[in-house]
Amino acid sequence: MSRQIALDAARRGFLFFMLAFFLLPFIWLATTAYKPSIDIFSIPPRFGFTPTLDQFRKALSVFDVPSLVRSSIFIAGGSMVLSLLLGVPAGYALARSSHRLAMALAYFFMSIRMVPAVAALIPFYLMMRDIGLVGHWFSVVLINCVLNTAFVTYMMYSYFRALPKELEEAALTDGCHQFSAFWRVSLPAVRSGIVASALFCVLFSWNDFLFAMFLTQLDSKPISVALLSAYGTKDITWGTLGALAHFSTIPIVLIVLFLNRYFVQGLTKGVH
Amino acid sequence: MALSASTEPLVNQFAGFGGLTFAQRRKMFLIAMALPALVYVLGFGVYPLLKGIWYSLYDYNLLKPARTEFIGFGNYVELMFDSDMQRSLINTIVFTASAVFFELVLGFAIALALWRDDRFNRICLTLILIPVTITPLVVGLIFKGLLLADYGLIGYYLAQWGLSDPRGLFASQNTALATLVFIDIWEWTPLVALILLAGLKALPTDILEAAAVDGAKPLRIFRKITLPLMLPSVLLALTIRTIDAFRVFDSVFVTTGGGPGNATNTLMVYAVKEGLSFFNIGKASAIANVSLLCTAIIAAALIFLIRHYDKKASTQ
Repeated sequence: MSRQIALDAARRGFLFFMLAFFLLPFIWLATTAYKPSIDIFSIPPRFGFTPTLDQFRKALSVFDVPSLVRSSIFIAGGSMVLSLLLGVPAGYALARSSHRLAMALAYFFMSIRMVPAVAALIPFYLMMRDIGLVGHWFSVVLINCVLNTAFVTYMMYSYFRALPKELEEAALTDGCHQFSAFWRVSLPAVRSGIVASALFCVLFSWNDFLFAMFLTQLDSKPISVALLSAYGTKDITWGTLGALAHFSTIPIVLIVLFLNRYFVQGLTKGVH
Repeated sequence: MALSASTEPLVNQFAGFGGLTFAQRRKMFLIAMALPALVYVLGFGVYPLLKGIWYSLYDYNLLKPARTEFIGFGNYVELMFDSDMQRSLINTIVFTASAVFFELVLGFAIALALWRDDRFNRICLTLILIPVTITPLVVGLIFKGLLLADYGLIGYYLAQWGLSDPRGLFASQNTALATLVFIDIWEWTPLVALILLAGLKALPTDILEAAAVDGAKPLRIFRKITLPLMLPSVLLALTIRTIDAFRVFDSVFVTTGGGPGNATNTLMVYAVKEGLSFFNIGKASAIANVSLLCTAIIAAALIFLIRHYDKKASTQ
């Protein structure tokens, strides 16, 4: 029995160590934003400091934060809505079809997610240039949506497949229209899958900066791109960067913490 | 590309719609539901990819469009003898192999520690997953800041105690790639732990309990029962992480940009630099396609392995 207790203590200790390992770097960045510049640049580095909001004032004066956040929201929200509109019905159709092409298509959608982004980005960039969309946030939505639609289709395919067909067959026999059988019977039953899909679309597109870096310009760039350009600028200190990073990381971390159940479910189920 | 209906034997009496049977209408409905997504992905995803293969056969630079010329596999032949390309390919492979290896080992340990379903473990899992959600760009910035040799919280002491190059871990050819591996481990081990934890929770507990009752040592149970049963989950985590690590870009781009020299140049970074900074579209497309081909081979091999073990498991 004492062996069991020792084992449990070791387990807890290991987990506490891991918590520190995975959380401290993030906490460091978050706290940098509240340090006066003098404490950030002190040599040797100091741990204690008097909290101040100066860095936020600086960040808000140097950057047009509302516009950056607005672009990020447009990009993340836009690609979430479009991907769900395209991906959820497609996932349903593939799951309900018994044709052998259906499964092949499901795998096709899954494999799209694995494509290295540059392979598509360079030709996509030229495509957008030809139709005059380079510089507009909508072009970022369009390319994010390729990966997201493919992801949502595959994820919803596995959710709909886990759903018993009988439910909807009963509705169909009762003379229910096919679309309303889908809309009123099947869709509510996979609500958690839809929340998880939406969450991942937002996460992917909010966090992307490769696409946005090349497809947006000054007035349409999202916060991630601004962070990159802020870094290495002469009068931008780590504190200001930390303050700016708040706007990029805190919303998404909070959303994920709030919807944690769906996040975990999606990660363990959707990736299969 | 026809999708046939699954509810075929059902309700033929509702065949009022232009004389179509229910099965036919069902088929049309399902096609109509799937088509928009398919057309979209083909148009904005597959078409650019094919266009990329086409570009890679040209000497095509956006800065001198007049001199565009078809050169067949010229770009690929050139890449074979390009030392930057060789270095990028080796870096990408070394990075992927070492990052994924450590992520699997550490992730497995964490999953085992979190196995028992209690309140502490659930909170722990929630918090441990935070690195996965943070913008990868910000992750790069965090470690860049922490490891700065002149006033970074960790970098300063590493440099003072002679544990790193005086200019920092990122500035030395010997440590830059290893540091990037470390960042990747920090960022993605929680995901691996989660996938493996899901696998552990799905294990048949009766077998494990029976073995324990029979007096088998914990280590032996782990080696002889848990590990073999966990193989599908391990392969799944391995597949996902290998494919993602192979196209690493964000953290490298922010911290080292491929340097010092080309010590941390990866395929993605090299392709982006060639294509979108030097506008050398032909060569960049060729690099991207090599990366695409590697990913396809890795994915095919791993999916083949997964299928193989699935079959073995189902016949046992």
